[in-house]
Amino acid sequence: MEMTAIVLVVVFFALLLINVPISICIGLSTMLVMLINIDTLPALATVAQRMAGGLNSFALLAIPFFVLSGLLMGRGGIAKRLIECAMALIGALPGGLALVNVVSCMLFGAISGSAVAATSAIGSFMLPEMKKAGYDPNFSAAVTAAASTTGMLIPPSNILIVYAIASGGVSIAALFMAGYLPGIMVGLALMLVCYVYAKRKGYPLSDRLPLSVVATKVLAAIPSLFLIFLIIGGIVGGIFTATEAGAIAVVYALMLSVGFYREVKVKELPEILLKSAETTAIVMLLIAASTAMSWVLSIENIPQALSEFMLDISDNPIIILLLINLLLIAVGAFLDMTPAVLIFTPIFLPVAEQLGMSPIQFGIMIVLNLSIGLCSPPVGAVLFITCAIAKTKLEEIIKPLLPLYVAMFFVLMLVTYFPWFSEAIPAMFGFIER
Amino acid sequence: MRKFIKLVDQSLGFSLICAMSAILLTVIWQVISRFILKDPASVTEELSRFILIWVGILGSAYAYRKKSHLGFNLIVDRQTKATRRMLLTIVEVLVITFSALALIVGGKELVIITLDLDQISASLGIRMGFIYTVLPISGALFVFYSLINIYNLWIADPEEPL
Repeated sequence: MEMTAIVLVVVFFALLLINVPISICIGLSTMLVMLINIDTLPALATVAQRMAGGLNSFALLAIPFFVLSGLLMGRGGIAKRLIECAMALIGALPGGLALVNVVSCMLFGAISGSAVAATSAIGSFMLPEMKKAGYDPNFSAAVTAAASTTGMLIPPSNILIVYAIASGGVSIAALFMAGYLPGIMVGLALMLVCYVYAKRKGYPLSDRLPLSVVATKVLAAIPSLFLIFLIIGGIVGGIFTATEAGAIAVVYALMLSVGFYREVKVKELPEILLKSAETTAIVMLLIAASTAMSWVLSIENIPQALSEFMLDISDNPIIILLLINLLLIAVGAFLDMTPAVLIFTPIFLPVAEQLGMSPIQFGIMIVLNLSIGLCSPPVGAVLFITCAIAKTKLEEIIKPLLPLYVAMFFVLMLVTYFPWFSEAIPAMFGFIER
Repeated sequence: MRKFIKLVDQSLGFSLICAMSAILLTVIWQVISRFILKDPASVTEELSRFILIWVGILGSAYAYRKKSHLGFNLIVDRQTKATRRMLLTIVEVLVITFSALALIVGGKELVIITLDLDQISASLGIRMGFIYTVLPISGALFVFYSLINIYNLWIADPEEPL
């Protein structure tokens, strides 16, 4: 067992460092362990079978749909209208543009499932605007990267679907409800940092818009915002599954962007479909390989060994949970979120449950925790995208990111130690008994 | 050669566009049949899951061609040109190893085993072995694209990579 763990970790990191794609790092190290343990042909066939089996799930189908609707909304003028609505409402406050950036990311997160979609849709619009208004581009890029992760918690969220599968059947609807409050709290915490930063730097205030303009902008965003009620209402009301909601979101986004706003042409659709297939496949290969790795870990009894080890270190739940969080932050810095959730949920969830944490609270905790990793070096998908859009260097945006990390970590601690934050809303809708 | 590569790229892209549309239509049909026709279709769930496996595995090869899989490039990018080329070649060899062993050999074995056992899917009645053929197909594409990458690293004119 120790042998397996060592081989897995060493091979994985060695491959990662020389820039082997992460999914292949996971696949190769899993394959190697299988080859050490059993005969060649059955070992290879098992890896292949676990990989394909990992994708054989109806719940996962929601992911291509939310990817596709996210793309359509980014290009179809929906993101733009959300930004203008936020701008009309809070643009005149100190640090207004930074606040608008955060709120837009939250709103976009509330209608699409991925942080990457939010980063490119909101960032490509807001970053040039902020630069024009005199904001430090590094600060703007840092804000966009951190804010886009709120979409991981605010439903619909692809990663919460992945967690639902990894945890062995927590209700997706309950998780979606649970994500709202912590997602909004992260957003508010980031906005507080932006407010203080802008005041200190003395960024110029934008003019307050006349009420009639505000009303027009808000009205223009309503068809886009209606999607939130359609998707979440349908899932929470038990009318349709998350996957069906995803398909409905695509149809609605198509109608808005092609039919109503006319910003996407019909002949652009094949290219958008292909792009969404590509993005989906990247996530799917990560899921396939991680499922295989998670399976190898479980037959080697590594999750049990690790949880016994952790419970031996201390019997104080506060310390163990802090330890889990610190470990996950380290994991999140190197591993993309999807494999991290698939591999570490089976390892840490049993420990958390022994300490009396519900699988729902744990899910929100792990996703919020890994969100910090998503916007931190060395492997942070969102970080690279914002740097590319803002035309700045990774090293430059670390400093402005630091206070934002602190804000996120503060919310993480609240979510970790107070179940109320993740369980109040699901309880209100009768998903869990309290 | 260039023509052949273009043909492969385009066929792969076209298949993915069709598969994505198919998934979408299948699930929409599921919603319609359940809400409007009040007669839930039984095959849509299974069919859409199977197409997802195809999109995921086949699309991975496409994403590899587009170099869009996530990786950690900070160290490799800081090396001299010669070291970088060596490291990137090693990566391609590793990708070929994984694709050839896990996807082609393992996938082919899986197809043979499931066809032998005559495993049949619950509602569509498809033999499961056929679904798994995507593994060796995608594996072959990975190897193909990896070889192209190696060619581009060492032989091709950097202005006009294959």
